Amino acid sequence: MAEVAALEHIEPAAPGGPEVAGRSPWALAGRRLVRNRIAMGGLVLFILIVVVSFAAPLYANHIAHVNPFQNNLNGTTIVNGKKVSLMQQGGGILHLGETPIGPTWDVHHYFLGADQSGRDVAARVLYGGRSSLEVGIGSAVLCCLLATIFALLAGFHGGWIDALFSRMMDVIWAFPVLLLAICVSTVLLNAPNGVSIGPITIQASSLWLPTLIIAFIYLPYVYRPVRGHVLSVSEKEYVEAAIAQGASGWRLVFMEVLPNVITVVIVLLPLIIATTILTEATLSFLSIGVQPPNASWGTVISDGQGLLYTRPWVAIAPGFMIVLTVLALNVFGDGVRDALDPRAKLRVEG
Amino acid sequence: MATFIIRRILQLILVMFVITVVVFMIFFHTPGIDPVRQIAGRNPSAQAVKEIRHQFGLDRPLPVQYVLMMKKIFITRDLVSYSNQGQKIVPEVVAATPATLSLVFGAAVIWVVVSIAMGLAAAVFKGTVIDPLLMILALIGISMPVFWVGELANLITQSRWHDTILFHWVPPLGYTPFVQDPGLWFKGLVIPWITLSILYIGLYARVLRASLLDVQNEDYVRTARAKGLSERRVLLRHTLRTSMITFVSLFGLDFGALVAGSTLVTEVVFGIHGVGFLTWQSIGNLDLPTIMVTVIYGAFFIVLANALVDVGYAWLDPRIRPA
Amino acid sequence: MEKRFWRGLVAVGAIAAVVIAAGCGGSGGGGSSSSGSSSPSTTAAAHKGGTFTILANSSFGVADPAQNYTLQEWQLLINTHDGLVQFKRVGGVPGTQIVPDLATSIPTPTDGGKTYTFQIRKGIKFSNGQVMKPSDFVTTFERQFTVPGPTSFYSGIVGASACKPSNCDLSSGVVADDAASTLTIHLTAPDPEFLDKLALPFAYVVPASTSKKLTGNNVPPGTGPYMWKSYDPNKEAVLVRNPFFKVWSADAQPAGYPDQIIEKYGLQISDEVTQVQRGAADEVFDGDVIPADRLNELNAPQYKNQVHVNPLTADWYMALNTTTPPFNNLKARQAINFAADRNAYVKIGGGSALAQPTCQILPPNFPGYAPYCPYTAGSSTTKWTGTNIAKAKQLVQESGTAGMKVVVNSANDQTSKALGEQMVSDLNKIGYKASGQYLAGSVQYPYIQNSKNHSKWNVAWSAWYQDYPAASDFLNVLLGCGSIHPNSDASPNIAAFCDKSIQAKMDQAEAKGVTDANAANSIWQTVDHEMTDQAPWVDLFNPKQIDFLSKRVGNYQWNPQWYILIDQLWVK
Repeated sequence: MAEVAALEHIEPAAPGGPEVAGRSPWALAGRRLVRNRIAMGGLVLFILIVVVSFAAPLYANHIAHVNPFQNNLNGTTIVNGKKVSLMQQGGGILHLGETPIGPTWDVHHYFLGADQSGRDVAARVLYGGRSSLEVGIGSAVLCCLLATIFALLAGFHGGWIDALFSRMMDVIWAFPVLLLAICVSTVLLNAPNGVSIGPITIQASSLWLPTLIIAFIYLPYVYRPVRGHVLSVSEKEYVEAAIAQGASGWRLVFMEVLPNVITVVIVLLPLIIATTILTEATLSFLSIGVQPPNASWGTVISDGQGLLYTRPWVAIAPGFMIVLTVLALNVFGDGVRDALDPRAKLRVEG
Repeated sequence: MATFIIRRILQLILVMFVITVVVFMIFFHTPGIDPVRQIAGRNPSAQAVKEIRHQFGLDRPLPVQYVLMMKKIFITRDLVSYSNQGQKIVPEVVAATPATLSLVFGAAVIWVVVSIAMGLAAAVFKGTVIDPLLMILALIGISMPVFWVGELANLITQSRWHDTILFHWVPPLGYTPFVQDPGLWFKGLVIPWITLSILYIGLYARVLRASLLDVQNEDYVRTARAKGLSERRVLLRHTLRTSMITFVSLFGLDFGALVAGSTLVTEVVFGIHGVGFLTWQSIGNLDLPTIMVTVIYGAFFIVLANALVDVGYAWLDPRIRPA
Repeated sequence: MEKRFWRGLVAVGAIAAVVIAAGCGGSGGGGSSSSGSSSPSTTAAAHKGGTFTILANSSFGVADPAQNYTLQEWQLLINTHDGLVQFKRVGGVPGTQIVPDLATSIPTPTDGGKTYTFQIRKGIKFSNGQVMKPSDFVTTFERQFTVPGPTSFYSGIVGASACKPSNCDLSSGVVADDAASTLTIHLTAPDPEFLDKLALPFAYVVPASTSKKLTGNNVPPGTGPYMWKSYDPNKEAVLVRNPFFKVWSADAQPAGYPDQIIEKYGLQISDEVTQVQRGAADEVFDGDVIPADRLNELNAPQYKNQVHVNPLTADWYMALNTTTPPFNNLKARQAINFAADRNAYVKIGGGSALAQPTCQILPPNFPGYAPYCPYTAGSSTTKWTGTNIAKAKQLVQESGTAGMKVVVNSANDQTSKALGEQMVSDLNKIGYKASGQYLAGSVQYPYIQNSKNHSKWNVAWSAWYQDYPAASDFLNVLLGCGSIHPNSDASPNIAAFCDKSIQAKMDQAEAKGVTDANAANSIWQTVDHEMTDQAPWVDLFNPKQIDFLSKRVGNYQWNPQWYILIDQLWVK
């Protein structure tokens, strides 16, 4: 991820900010962000997608009246007032194959058509959004949290802790990202009765497995920039001043170091979420991400592969949702970065 | 400088060692999966199973097995696949490399040329509508999952519009070696190249534009302008060169990652039998020896690319020391 | 044999259109048929030549015939190698008849059925010029035990039980007399299926100098009309004509028509279809896993003569774990059989044109088969017409297993996953708490075959395709008491089903089969019905095979044992 790597070289904003009397840098940043209409647009779009996805049960139960997790191969629906079978047998002389119906563009009756198990694609795309967002946001938050803690420990304590964490991160960094995820997923998902860590057992069908795996592989992407900042902030005069005044240990971390380092994490978070959503989609597409009975955007695209030439909407719709979501996050992330760090190298605005 | 390089090489070896151990532990510890079954073929007798276990050293302690495998990979180079014991893996990986390299080089050429053009244009025309337009395109480029773009590309070029002027030349999916048929090699790679480069064009156009704009405000650029040089000269001679440092270092990392196997998804979607495809296949079969070799191959290139970029940086700017 | 796993990575494959060549009066679509046109000799000569290209998603693994257990390689091995006997190389039911190949005639076994004495033909050469002699067979059979692979077929040979991979001496069981050109095989017990087993490629002769160890991807020389020029599992296999071959029996080993046969690997199935549609290749090997979106294309009238659909003697089924609750209870097993929506399973399998629902173990047109289905709605006992949920629920209540947790194990490719999900759905409908467990294809089969994993699943998807046309190949191999190997990872009786009285009948049928095949088959019929009543499986459907050929291909013949007869196809 080139963009995130480039963030290693950001200069942290000095506290105190420009000469505006009486306003904290956070308030200033907030104002800059709110004024950035494109970024706000991205945020609104993202929130909209989240709301719609989490409202999936509403759609499935009250509008479409389907259970998108149950096979419905012998089911029927109404198209143009007529009852039709969801799976249609091939024509000609040989009658080979069973093709599901295509989009009806009727919100109450299989809006985007059915997939090869007779399930409502539109409902699955919405539920899929839920899983994709849960895994994406969950893993990003977890990743940032853990990486920040490690970076604080390493940067502040130095010595062998720093060396240990940094080498660990080097190893993870050296693993081709996707490869590591695929290896770990394959093994864990083929553990038929779930993975046991001490007393906790995680089933293969739980969303926790992909969440943990994806959080793990992106640790270095957050750890490195944050650690870099911890190191540079530690050398600043105000920290030295605080130490001279007698502050030490955790107080120092929380009052002086963390608030300045947190800007990096906040800037990174939307970008990491965008990346984790894409990664989850890729893993699910390869059948080693989200497992049945859960659906995610990636699994629906994977379902759509076998129907690509005749029922392309099954693959197009979830992909389109991914693009919208990631785009919204990227746009918002740009805005956050511009707001928090006017001198950042990757500014979008002049 | 020399000590720095030596230190980096030692780090490289250490990291590779740890990676191989990690992969080994991951796959050997898979519950419910017994590699002997893969080797023994179908419905073997209990006696045969026992003998195979002994023959392949699978009844020895794990560290010994690890050492044996490393020896077979690096020294004797006769490691065989579990799914097909007639197949030597190292030659197999070597034979798959040209496909991956073809894919990566072609995509790299496209993405470097287009992203530089886009980034330059956006910086030069900042203030007009062209800038945000190009940047939105770039953003869209980085927001699309590669496999989805590939699937759509297949839908359009193989099925929907295949019979039109636009795409009738697109051959069926798959890779043809250059030495076998250069024309077909090229035609079969065009769509995968474009698909793979879309993501990177978006990324690098943005990076370049940001670098260019930042450098604009540096003192030496102001000096150049004060001296009376035209904007274009300032841009091309001074700002572009400096901006390329970041560009090139990022490029090194990404290129390394791609050669290492990040092309996996693209290769799977387009049916190109490169190293990524081989990796995917071997993971699907839980074929540990092949997985091990492809991971080593991949990790090597990533670590190498990282090291080269770091060395390059240190050489360019003696103030910079590795973190 | 179990279903061949295609390493389905990206299943956007379409079925390659089977193109039947127009020119030489080739057979039309559907059903098994041989070309029925004008005088064979003149047209036959005109069609010799050309290269036949097969496209396959993946290679067949290691090429050594002593280990390879895939139909994919067998279809080629029958053209490059010969055994003592062979299935008649014609299409249709006559193709199940055993005819002598390297033996001059089929001997009647003596010594109570335990001794077979074959007169071996003289003057036949391997593709490397060596002359084939009976002692080559000794090496061939010994390799069965020294090379890792299935050994059960030939374990009845005297001396086989002492064989180990490191050392195998069958000189007392397989006696070769090169001077008299005879080969005598001694069995420990009579085996009515022994001739079938000799017709499998495991028993095809290789030179005595062949290494006893796995020859990897190098195929030892054979005596057939073709020989292996090269095999690269990542690229292709190439077969060319064997210069030393002369026809000695057109029934067993006719001369082939194409001059070269090439099998290319690694293509996605959708692309295989596209290439054959465009005439760039001649056959799609993976006709059974063509994704839905391309299947529909093949219905178009232009492909009428290129698509062939033939029923297979195979079962796709869900094995029920009879060792743990709830399916150690007969009523629970019968309940799920009543509730399984075979219509839905058929649709997943490609629709009624490609799959036929079934309740019983034996597939149609198999020796010992008589239609039987006790698990349907309505009063019929021969045909499945629909589910009977009410009866199913009642049985669940009576069994006392309502509400129990059930784990359904399946593979994670598109079709197997859908089948697993459907089973989960069917189980939930009658009051169980079902969940699915999906493993990678190459992992799932050994996993469920491993008797140590029995406590981890309750229902497992599997498929079985005939080795040869004998009822015991289904009933005894998959459900016999002797096929349960505790604590082993090669236990083909996945359901771990063992019923002593039914087993006794199977043993009786086996014994009877030595002398009176018809009487044996009627016992097998009874066994099939009783076994179905005991419901160790939920049998889903019998699949059909699609062969999609390019436009120029002619003389399509379907042999029930080897399926499409590649060497008999016309490409010119």
